[in-house]
Amino acid sequence: MSAGVSTEFISPGPQSFNTTPIIDGVDWFTKPVLVAALSVVVIVWFYWGASRKAAVVPSKLQFAGELGYNFVRNSIARDAIGSHDYMKYVPYLCGLFYFILLNNVAGTIPLIQFPTFSHIGWAYVAAIMSWAIYNGVGIKKKGLWGYFKHQTMPAGVPVWLMPLMIPIEFISNILVRPVSLSLRLFANMFAGHILLLVFVTGGDYMLRESGSIALGGVGIITLLMGLAIAGLELFVQCIQAYIFVVLTAQYIGSAIADEH
Amino acid sequence: MSQHEDPKPTPNTAGDGWRVLSYLIGGILVYGGIGFGLDRWLGTQFLLPVGIVLGAGLTILLLNFRYRQRP
Repeated sequence: MSAGVSTEFISPGPQSFNTTPIIDGVDWFTKPVLVAALSVVVIVWFYWGASRKAAVVPSKLQFAGELGYNFVRNSIARDAIGSHDYMKYVPYLCGLFYFILLNNVAGTIPLIQFPTFSHIGWAYVAAIMSWAIYNGVGIKKKGLWGYFKHQTMPAGVPVWLMPLMIPIEFISNILVRPVSLSLRLFANMFAGHILLLVFVTGGDYMLRESGSIALGGVGIITLLMGLAIAGLELFVQCIQAYIFVVLTAQYIGSAIADEH
Repeated sequence: MSQHEDPKPTPNTAGDGWRVLSYLIGGILVYGGIGFGLDRWLGTQFLLPVGIVLGAGLTILLLNFRYRQRP
């Protein structure tokens, strides 16, 4: 808000997410691109540093790296895919988890304060990637027809009900899954960030530009509420990264499962 | 690697919840969509809600069959 120029409150909206190119003339290089690139650099630096001098008695950095890796490996990948063939998918799941996590948390980190996945295109790409992988490994394991049968024939349903159930199974497994993966991530990041913007710009307006003592008091409360929302956001950002990867792992697990 | 392996991993129930939700959306989409299409075709108005309720009901039935099988 430009102080003193306008006394009208301009509410934040989807237009608040329009990012301008950082360097003039390079249209694709916007804030989300920068944040995503930075997150990759940070993750690579962290894991490279953690694994560079691997020792039996781990250093602090190696210990942190193992902790982070084991979390995805044991409590996401192994639990969802099963202890037989989960190792193949750990690199993807681990990379995906920390990429989404860092890009989400970027919405709270001071000076960056932009969650990459509040632009839906990023969420689409992440979901399409997971979708391609779990369908791909399912088709590879069972063949096209076998996989298709596996994904559309619900177990335990009597034969006479099958024709009614097959479309539900097909739509929910093939269509709703990738859409819900991307929409959940995008909507949480978008809604959280816009809520924060409303509280902060609204509180700032009431405190500094409304010219009323009473509204100024409300503005202080609003700003404090904004702080609480920021805390809630941090929680949501972590949960959403976790949910995305858990579901990807479960979909992979169900695609390669022997029976339903 | 110096980590202790968790002897018995616990099943992930958070994911199950989301899958149930995606089944419900799927069922409502399919049969609500069929109802919507029939409404447009026949010029009626009641088939979309009938389709939605039917889809939700069938999904609950499907979920019952599916998750009852679990040991």
